[in-house]
Amino acid sequence: MSTTRIREIREIIREEPVMQPRILAALADGPLTIPAIAQAIGHPTDEVLFWVMGMRRYGKIQEVPGADDEGYFRYATAGWAVKA
Amino acid sequence: MDYDALVVGSGIGGMESALKLGDMGYKVLVVEKEASVGGRMILLSKVFPTLDCASCISTPKMAQTIHHPNLTVLTYSEVEGIARNGDGHFKAKVKRKARYVDEVACTGCQKCETACTVAVPDQFNADLVARRAAYIAFPQAVPKKAVIERQGSSPCTFACPAGIEAHGYVSLIRSGEYEKAHRLVLDATPLVGTLGRACYAPCESECTRGSLEGTLPIRRLKRFISDRHVESGEDLGIEVAPPNGHRIAVVGSGPAGLTAAWQLARMGYGVKIFEAASEAGGFLRLAIPSYRLPVEVVERDIDNVRALGVEIATNSPVRDVEALKADGYEAVLLATGTPRSTGLGVPGEDRLGVMGGPEFLRKVKLGQPVDMAGRQVVVVGGGNVAMDAARVARRLSATSVNVVYRRGRAEMPAHHVEADDAEKEGVQFTFQVAPVEVVGDASGAVSGLRCVRMALGEPDGSGRRRPEPIKGSEFVIPCQVVIGAIGMTADTAAFASLIGLGRNGALQADPKTLQTNVPWVFAAGDVVNGATDITRAVGEGRRAAHMIDRWLTGGMLDGFDRRLPVVDKAEVLARQKTYTIRPTAPDGVTLETAPHDFREVEGGLTEAQAHEAAGRCMDCAVCSGCHECVAACPVDGCIDLQARDQELEVEVGAVVVSTGYRLFAADLKPQYGFGKYRNVITGMQMDRLLAPTRPFNTILRPSDGKVPERIAYVMCTGSRDETVGNPLCSKFCCMYSVKQNQLIMGALPLAEVTVHYIDIRAAGKRYDEFYEQSKAMGATYVKGRVAKITEKENGDLILRYEDIENGGKLVDAEYDLVVLAVGVQPNRDAAALFPEERLAEDEYFYVAEPDEDLNPGVTSIPGVFVAGAASGAKDIVDSILHAGAAAAQVAAHLERTQAKAKVPA
Repeated sequence: MSTTRIREIREIIREEPVMQPRILAALADGPLTIPAIAQAIGHPTDEVLFWVMGMRRYGKIQEVPGADDEGYFRYATAGWAVKA
Repeated sequence: MDYDALVVGSGIGGMESALKLGDMGYKVLVVEKEASVGGRMILLSKVFPTLDCASCISTPKMAQTIHHPNLTVLTYSEVEGIARNGDGHFKAKVKRKARYVDEVACTGCQKCETACTVAVPDQFNADLVARRAAYIAFPQAVPKKAVIERQGSSPCTFACPAGIEAHGYVSLIRSGEYEKAHRLVLDATPLVGTLGRACYAPCESECTRGSLEGTLPIRRLKRFISDRHVESGEDLGIEVAPPNGHRIAVVGSGPAGLTAAWQLARMGYGVKIFEAASEAGGFLRLAIPSYRLPVEVVERDIDNVRALGVEIATNSPVRDVEALKADGYEAVLLATGTPRSTGLGVPGEDRLGVMGGPEFLRKVKLGQPVDMAGRQVVVVGGGNVAMDAARVARRLSATSVNVVYRRGRAEMPAHHVEADDAEKEGVQFTFQVAPVEVVGDASGAVSGLRCVRMALGEPDGSGRRRPEPIKGSEFVIPCQVVIGAIGMTADTAAFASLIGLGRNGALQADPKTLQTNVPWVFAAGDVVNGATDITRAVGEGRRAAHMIDRWLTGGMLDGFDRRLPVVDKAEVLARQKTYTIRPTAPDGVTLETAPHDFREVEGGLTEAQAHEAAGRCMDCAVCSGCHECVAACPVDGCIDLQARDQELEVEVGAVVVSTGYRLFAADLKPQYGFGKYRNVITGMQMDRLLAPTRPFNTILRPSDGKVPERIAYVMCTGSRDETVGNPLCSKFCCMYSVKQNQLIMGALPLAEVTVHYIDIRAAGKRYDEFYEQSKAMGATYVKGRVAKITEKENGDLILRYEDIENGGKLVDAEYDLVVLAVGVQPNRDAAALFPEERLAEDEYFYVAEPDEDLNPGVTSIPGVFVAGAASGAKDIVDSILHAGAAAAQVAAHLERTQAKAKVPA
């Protein structure tokens, strides 16, 4: 059983502006899944999901269509497909 | 009477009642606490059993409600109380909460939302994703108008005497917008670098984070943006009005004068500063030591003022204010500070070696020779000037520096950090002694300071204990230099014939308008108030500029301080149950026990440190006041961050309570792990994940963004459950779960859906068929209550349940995602609407309908009716039916009592 205490949602979400440049830097070389972004920036996956979805909502990030075999979508910086 | 009926709440029940009454010709006021009408229904994915899109069928009704000619709708408003008059009518008090956005002018473009720098949980997405402090409730909101969640002034901002939006620039730094942060401070004062180093940061004293691991380094964050600005080489980027042809003279170039000049120049005035000294900057340039405030920093800030075209004439003392008027200056601001030392008032103070603190500091700052090497120095006083003088003397190689103060350390007016740092640099302190005589040698030079020891008596008018001399306790401290730093006074002799003087020669001016007895002469800062600090002087300078502009343009001398009330820090802290304690930035101060130079003792924050530090901000007022929304809004004047709530009172003939229900708080069933395990969500959250305007790109589990393959439902969470005090069935949980099952199987064809239930209640037209359809699509229904849920390391969940239909054995089943089909609870806000008369509740605390079989919608108060789920759990169809019945009851009541308002033809 997981013993890691999850943080309060309000606290996690409040940190989104701080995390944005780190997440965008992690995606600079191409799309990543939530677990991969989490590994890149050293934060838990549940928190990264909040930040990525907040950034997606406001047009900073977009999903790449189709989940991988593990069931994870990849996320890219806005306009990534155009650049690719 | 203003309206025939008041409808409280605009969910599907409230809208239905209001529309029916409006269609009948009654005049109706609808009051909705959220920023949009629509209640919960608009947030759903689809409705059962038809699987119609909830948005598609809700939005026409929402639009009708807003546009109906007989309906007046107040969104983002709250009914604060309703009282029945003697004539059977009702008086209702309604608070229109400030939206901070002009509802008429707003185009719904969402540019404010995109620009906003504060992220908060989105209640319209069941906290699954962030929204911004500036927001439109949801994409189908009616009216589609922005709201800014602004709960007052953040404590840091409210505490700043200079009026700097501290929360705002912290928020911009957090977002990496350093230039914008710099410009936000520039909006208040040109002295960004100065305040980033020498301010005593009252903002930090009020920082709510101080209750946790420690206050944010707000002052150093300001220094960070100043330093970054200098490194960037960017322009100031400040808006300046075109010249208006009016000329204003500012006398004195300290923080008040410079700030006033800056603000006036930005308004288009031609400003000239007259400075008596050889260098501009007043106390900043001529007193505060360079180890705290380097000269180049002050000069950079003064250059900001010059960049706006302000002329600064040094070596230009003003001795005739009226001559300025004669020279064409239409207004004069006197801001000459307190340049003079207060004398020690003891025999021998004219000896060689005695000097005043400000004079000593000025000489050093101007590079004039001051010989301290090898001398014993005594500094008299306990304020910041005394600390500065002592530390400067140390740097000039004094053998010893002894600060003598007549009270104790706790009573010292110096900032405690200054005293602590002075001590660390080798300054000695002798407390509870007062000078009685400066002792001299044969040549007349100082050889010592005779002092008397003091006892602290009762508190005086300042609240500090009054020092009283102890007879026979005199002693001499050997020294060659005595620096008196017991106070500073204004030098106003030149103005005395024109302007009224107060205590200690201070100029007299109205404390709010800063206008003197001569209407075209204003006075601000220390020359009026006595020695205070930089931020107060800056604030006075801003105020003076505002008032001078008002006076010259014929306006009322008011409207300067438009701060909203400060938010309650206890309420801010109560927003979270737990907090993560975060590391604080190192203080960056390097002190030597025997300093020899004037290098800055405090270093700046690195970008990483600044970003981390700003990230600790708790957004106390929610809106930070960064003004990014104002800049982004395409409609001038649409956003007013100083707007106020409005109260109004209306008289109505009847009231419809349609305040809906509350969802059961799932964390009250701790065995299910909601709030502890991320992949345990509620039915409402699943509905949001299934909705077209969903918070994620598809259905994902919240722990890691994986598409779930095994999804379980736990029915009757918080309903039919005596352990949580709710024996009632919530009526629609079974059917919304069945609906969701079908939608999930449509969206995720490979997903397995299992429903753990007690029994399925599908009593309604086509409901049972809908349930059977779900089973036919592949959903599995397992009878038996779930005992508990535990989480595996990978976020998967183990459900333990009793498999009733297979011998009652205990089974552990593993899932990716668990949905708690939470029940409903009464919304007790309804009863609180009537403070003077009891609105009866039933035994479950829903609004009672005393004769519900024959008179649905009728409550215990004549003329008050209830519609929808406020009187008990109802699905959408039943809510609409009930609301229609309530409307009919209202119409009957109004006709019976002849209490009709005039309806426009």
